[in-house]
Amino acid sequence: MEETTESFLLFTPQDAICEVSEHGLVIIVEEWGCLQARVYYRKELFVSYEYSAESRPRFGVSLGLLVDTLSTFSSTGTTGLELSYPGSDMQLLLKLTDADNTCIYAEIRTKVTDTVPKEYSVDGDGGRRAVFAVKSAALKEAIDDLEWPGSSISITISPDPAGVILRGEGHHGDLQIDFPYDAHNELFAAFQCQSEVSYSYKYKFLRATTANVPNSVTKDNRGSKLTIGAGGLLKVQHLISLRQAQQHNMDPNPTQQGRVSYVEFYLMPDEEA
Amino acid sequence: MKFKAFFTDKGVTTLEKKFVPAFEKIGKTCYVYLTRTHVTLMHNAVNADGVQAIAQFKEALLFDDYRISSQNEDRIAFTLDLNLLLRALKSSVSMDGDKLQIKLVKKRPSLNERPMPYLTLESKGFRSAVVQDIPISQPLSRGDVQELQDTIDAVHNLPRTLVQMPDLGQLQILVDRLKNVGEALDVAVTFHGDVHLQVSTTLVSIGSEFRRLQVLGERAAAGSTLDATASPAMRLEQALARGEASSVQVKIKHFAKSLQCSLTRPDTCYVGVAPSDSYLVMKFQFYAPATHHPDTAVTLHYRLPVLERVG
Repeated sequence: MEETTESFLLFTPQDAICEVSEHGLVIIVEEWGCLQARVYYRKELFVSYEYSAESRPRFGVSLGLLVDTLSTFSSTGTTGLELSYPGSDMQLLLKLTDADNTCIYAEIRTKVTDTVPKEYSVDGDGGRRAVFAVKSAALKEAIDDLEWPGSSISITISPDPAGVILRGEGHHGDLQIDFPYDAHNELFAAFQCQSEVSYSYKYKFLRATTANVPNSVTKDNRGSKLTIGAGGLLKVQHLISLRQAQQHNMDPNPTQQGRVSYVEFYLMPDEEA
Repeated sequence: MKFKAFFTDKGVTTLEKKFVPAFEKIGKTCYVYLTRTHVTLMHNAVNADGVQAIAQFKEALLFDDYRISSQNEDRIAFTLDLNLLLRALKSSVSMDGDKLQIKLVKKRPSLNERPMPYLTLESKGFRSAVVQDIPISQPLSRGDVQELQDTIDAVHNLPRTLVQMPDLGQLQILVDRLKNVGEALDVAVTFHGDVHLQVSTTLVSIGSEFRRLQVLGERAAAGSTLDATASPAMRLEQALARGEASSVQVKIKHFAKSLQCSLTRPDTCYVGVAPSDSYLVMKFQFYAPATHHPDTAVTLHYRLPVLERVG
């Protein structure tokens, strides 16, 4: 869990919002009014998940503190971290008990939050969206390289010639990175585009979507999916493989699904298209 | 005053591989205190605002042909830079088979300067002789030497209860992470053999409880047990309320430095709270070779100053 939440660390120290439901746990961070990040922990990922509440609890918690706290637990390297909420004073409680009589526990103060995170969606709008998924390592490298030109990066997805072009123009020069679909099929896990779509995004926001992803994402290289929806809303989604937890009361047919978690970023385009 | 001796092989290894590296982690310079029977290395002996560490050796463990004399009941003390001592010992190790002599001398660093005291290490062999001079402070006055002796005597006044420390490696990792969260560490020790460590700030509280460790000294009465189902924090409160535990707060930085004692590779480590919650004490034992009995020739104690609790 620590790895996935660390991917938010590019954000300035502030609060993350946790939403708990019967389906699982979501941690959301919003920044600058136009960038949102979400990490999902579906209940199937947990060895056991107990939930009972009349309305879905939502609370704020300091992001940096959450990451530091989680890192104290990961040192033991065992599964069995127990999360519970709320504590006697609305805290988020964490506990890890080892076989040999050792117990690590933490209580994090939470904040009442009035902010309701925006619900972004790239679906709908009658198929005008464009989607592609490429190997995570390739995407991260491309975006790292684009640091050089400048502050605004354009992403163009076109059906003919099929492919994706990332381009940055700056004081020192221009840099264009092509991902041609036909020539480099092995890079793509998905590609769907009916008509050409092109939008620009601030570099620092784009960078935030790939800069701190856990190493396992680039190592596993399962794929990062980018979707541009109506109005240029960009969704970047990374799949994170998780270690298989001990299955106790899980369904008898654990699917491939049970072993991944998602980190999603939503990004609004630059004002001038 | 005179001091001259030859190092035993074991003496060189004990210092070079274990104690000097561990003591270097606590501070750059330390006191060296020599008496007729013992050799002691001490950190922050007086005026302790840091970790106070005392390693005492019977002279026979470190030296052969140990000769000491001074007008202060044959006691000599001075300070030296541990890094210089370590380097001198390391380079002496490469000269296999030669006898390594150590002695106190006064030399002039250059013709125009006054004589200064040095600890000279001389490696005498058939083929070569290597001399290394370690500059030391002026020897301590009678009053200062007595203060060192008083500190050593006080250290032997141990807490009523000492509990075995959890695995040092595991503790080091935990404390390293806890350092990110806060500066003050709460350490509690119960008569039941539990050790609690906790860092608290206004926003978060992270702690660890280690249970059922070995207890030396006063322990909980046979029938008395703590509620196993309660949370660690509640269990500790229960023990404190019954007078079966002590809890103090120390600087986490000091605690982390003390854990570097693992470099001396002790066989057992115990932690306890000194009477009147004045210090946190760690006591280390080294077994005599091929036995499970503590070797009385070496003793090591650390004392950490306790912070005034706020609120």
